Amino acid sequence: MNIQVSERKPSVFVVSLAGDLDMSSSPQVRKILLPIFLKKVSHLIVDLTGVPYIDSSGIATFVEALQLARKGQVRFSLAGACKTVESIFDLAYLRTVFEMAPDVDRLIDGE
Amino acid sequence: MDSIKLKGPVILDIAADPAAMFMVRALVGKISERIGFGADEVDKLVLAVDEACTNVIRHAYGDREDGRIILTFTLGRDCFEICIRDFGIGADPEGFRGRDLNQVRPGGLGIHFIKSGVDKMEYNVPADGGMVLKLVKFLPEQEKCKIEHTGQ
Repeated sequence: MNIQVSERKPSVFVVSLAGDLDMSSSPQVRKILLPIFLKKVSHLIVDLTGVPYIDSSGIATFVEALQLARKGQVRFSLAGACKTVESIFDLAYLRTVFEMAPDVDRLIDGE
Repeated sequence: MDSIKLKGPVILDIAADPAAMFMVRALVGKISERIGFGADEVDKLVLAVDEACTNVIRHAYGDREDGRIILTFTLGRDCFEICIRDFGIGADPEGFRGRDLNQVRPGGLGIHFIKSGVDKMEYNVPADGGMVLKLVKFLPEQEKCKIEHTGQ
């Protein structure tokens, strides 16, 4: 799993992931994603454009991030999910729980 | 696409290692596509088998690093059957309950994903320990007559 973190605007962070988000990569993503909530952050976006697959451990990581976001009043969004990944969120009845956007730029432009 | 021809079961004996699961997903995906399942069903079946294997790694083997998983793929007349054999601690079948999907909290989705991807799920506990989980997916109607069974 390749993970890149960038601050695209002041307090707007984008975490870009590339590779399968499964039991082997989720701990690595969690370790990088969750500490971002300790920074001065108003909006955290996870770019899923490079993620072809997600399992329950990947979903659990995002649910945990969402809970931290709600607690800290941080906007948390997922962007660029492919059809397979979207359908797995559907299967978990979680698609409407997360803010999901077609791409990162649309979210950044809307800031 | 040509109909699939299998002379017997396909057996994958693999380390119970999260890093190895991409191979399981690739194999399930490829066989399922060749059987003729639709893209959505292929995705769900791949997820189901992946989640079943990660359950084995997490619950049956825990911290053990020497565990193995044997997957047996069998194409029957009307179904595709996947047996997942482990040699870990026998999991309590009561633990096969997922969480309430109305709750938004981490964890508890694995069993829901497994059940969503297959038509039947059975398990048994062999005398020599571990567990065998059998997942069954019925074949698409139009594919049943195309599949050739040689030597079965």
